[in-house]
Amino acid sequence: MATERAVLLGNEAIARAVVEAGCEVACAYPGTPSSEILPAIAKFADLLDTKTVVEWGTNEKVAYEVAISASFTGKRSCVAMKHVGLNVAADPFMSAAQFDIEGGMLLIVADDPGPHSSQTEQDSRLFGLFAKVPVLDPSSAREAMEMVKDGFELSERHKIPVMLRPTVRVDHCRQDVELNDPLRLERPAKFVKDVKRWVCLPAHVKTTHPKLNQKMDAVKEEFTKNFSKYNFEITAQEKPKLGIIAGGISFAVVMDLLTKLGRKDISVLKIGTPHPLPLDLVNDFIARHENVLLLEETYPVIELQITDRRNVKGRWNGYVPRAGELTPEVVEELVCKALGETCTRDADEDLKKAIEELKITPKPPMLCPGCPHRASFFAIRKAFPDGIYPSDIGCYTLGVNQKTVDTSICMGASVTQSSGFYLAHKVDGQLRPIVATIGDSTFFHMGLPGLVNGVYNKHAFVLAILDNQVTAMTGGQPHPGTGQKLRKGDSGRIVPIERAVKGCGVEFVKRVEAYDIDEGVKALKEAWEYAKDHREPAVVIFGHPCMLLRQEQPKVPVRVEEETCVGCKFCINFFNCPGLVFDESSKKAYIDERFCVKCGVCVNVCPHGAIQVISEEGK
Amino acid sequence: MQYIIVGLGGQGILFASRVLGEIAIKRGENVIGSEVHGMAQRGGSVISHFKVGSYKSPLISAGDADVLLAFDQNEAIRNLHFLKNGGYGIINVHKMEVFQNESLKKYLTKRNISTFLLKGYEILNEHMKGNYLFLNVLILGAMGALNLGGISFDEVEDAVSKLSPAKFLDDNMKALDLGKMATHES
Repeated sequence: MATERAVLLGNEAIARAVVEAGCEVACAYPGTPSSEILPAIAKFADLLDTKTVVEWGTNEKVAYEVAISASFTGKRSCVAMKHVGLNVAADPFMSAAQFDIEGGMLLIVADDPGPHSSQTEQDSRLFGLFAKVPVLDPSSAREAMEMVKDGFELSERHKIPVMLRPTVRVDHCRQDVELNDPLRLERPAKFVKDVKRWVCLPAHVKTTHPKLNQKMDAVKEEFTKNFSKYNFEITAQEKPKLGIIAGGISFAVVMDLLTKLGRKDISVLKIGTPHPLPLDLVNDFIARHENVLLLEETYPVIELQITDRRNVKGRWNGYVPRAGELTPEVVEELVCKALGETCTRDADEDLKKAIEELKITPKPPMLCPGCPHRASFFAIRKAFPDGIYPSDIGCYTLGVNQKTVDTSICMGASVTQSSGFYLAHKVDGQLRPIVATIGDSTFFHMGLPGLVNGVYNKHAFVLAILDNQVTAMTGGQPHPGTGQKLRKGDSGRIVPIERAVKGCGVEFVKRVEAYDIDEGVKALKEAWEYAKDHREPAVVIFGHPCMLLRQEQPKVPVRVEEETCVGCKFCINFFNCPGLVFDESSKKAYIDERFCVKCGVCVNVCPHGAIQVISEEGK
Repeated sequence: MQYIIVGLGGQGILFASRVLGEIAIKRGENVIGSEVHGMAQRGGSVISHFKVGSYKSPLISAGDADVLLAFDQNEAIRNLHFLKNGGYGIINVHKMEVFQNESLKKYLTKRNISTFLLKGYEILNEHMKGNYLFLNVLILGAMGALNLGGISFDEVEDAVSKLSPAKFLDDNMKALDLGKMATHES
């Protein structure tokens, strides 16, 4: 096949390279900005007819362990996740780094500086340093593709997992890239038993840890000598007034800026292998520049490894902001500051004034019109206005807009926080209604251990499982509750949520239609009575398909009767639908036809009965 | 050529940048752009950057964009600062009176920014049973008809028909024509 060109999303480009590199086992758990990688691996594997097995794991730890075990047998494997996913997979990530793996293993961790869609903006490169694992930091989709292939080779040369760390701007960039034929490796799975190699007994660590250190020394040497395609200098044509060291996407931002400004007095050292840092290259650059600016996202990982940082202006010493994304605007200001020049950006006073006068504000994310979660949250609040509402990670974290999400820490914490809240009140001899919300996919991901814990330790709370039959926030991936799989012709088995819940030892389980607020309220009250009386968790499953699945459902057009609406904003504050808007001039709510999907749920929301179904005669 | 595409999550902005990508690859040009996926897509403000030429970064800096495609007028105004002096914006408008704001008019004049205000919702209500899913293609039709960024209507049509799912093809072609007609009427 001749080389083809295509415009791909960064994550699709990474996926294409994974398939081209001959990867045979690919696993992941969805999470922005990594979610598109695995479905694209399946798509390209189908297209190129490779044998690659492609599977969503129930969580990142599961996915990591599945992938790395395949590499024990000599297969090339990869696992993809978002940065906080690596927290979940930290256990196998740390341990397996010390093994002499057989087939190449690529860990793709997508970081989210900003953050745009995450609970932290942690830097996975630092995790690489912690585990002593090599890290590749791409500056574009094209480079990420090369790094995937080199990553597998590097992994096999040194028998160690390799981390590819794209940031959101690489994952979600769209770029023209080259498509090539896949490598068809004929490597039958061959697991050779070797206790010293595959069992992490403390006695073995006495040899594996020093060996890991030697591997890092060898990789560092390679990064210094043989990776000039990722680590290179663009030397200033004139005497340099500034030297910039840039990692990942910051390199791309800096280069476009220098082209725009036409600067010939600034040198740039690009670093694509931030760990282990090719220190000689960096030290040599610093020695030749009096004034050095270091741009990297998001932690000072390159900076931290520099032995003499005195002349370096970076995130470590606070010259570069210690948090947040390095956007073109931020980079331009930093470069000007480091040069001792003032930026010549025009002030947009008229535009600022217009935006103020017109009261235009950024629109925060909201649950979609017709989203079943909105009805579930409304029912929860109606049933227990004084309840504590621990919640979780997913679309439904947006229930915060309905004042029905009190806490959210990380995947699965809604369940365990319920236990904590229950115990804290219990020691004072008190009891408060606790209703936790968790999505279907999150429940399988990390809700299960907490639920077993609650049953075992006898904790009274209600767990509302919001079952919209999909992993919605990340764009609609299947999970054990749906049974679907990614490759053509491949299907899994459905794990019904009810049976999983009962298997955890929960006695009270009830499923309701999420759109039916009255039924939801009734089930929640029963559940709490049961939980209170028996001192154990009770579960209510709110079922209704996600709007993104676009399933047909009856259309119930509604209107707000102007004479009846008293302008109390109850519907805005506790139902919070994009289709239901408050008009500040008339002080009444109205239906915004641009967004309303005619789900009809809001009819049961208005305490004054002002929201009414439009009958067929149009009344 | 640098394009900023703005709107609200769910309005089909990603399809628009895929169409721009398709056109560029057919011309043999290099492209790089940036999209929003995830939490922000849930009805919130979203922005896509799209650059054609020998760029390295997917992000456009304030004051550098040639073209602004806005699916929502509030998002348009919030992101006008991306347009360079002499830039061009196609804006889907639902409240025309907002554009009578004096400060806004002053800004546009001072920066020599041209706008085409498209009454997208009105057009789709009238001709496509109020199906707002076709807003993106409607705007692309107007863009092609106005020859923005040197892209012709035919090129837009080719790309849209190539990327359209079969069941939306006819409606998408209709929406393209409606976008084109709207530019003739103004």
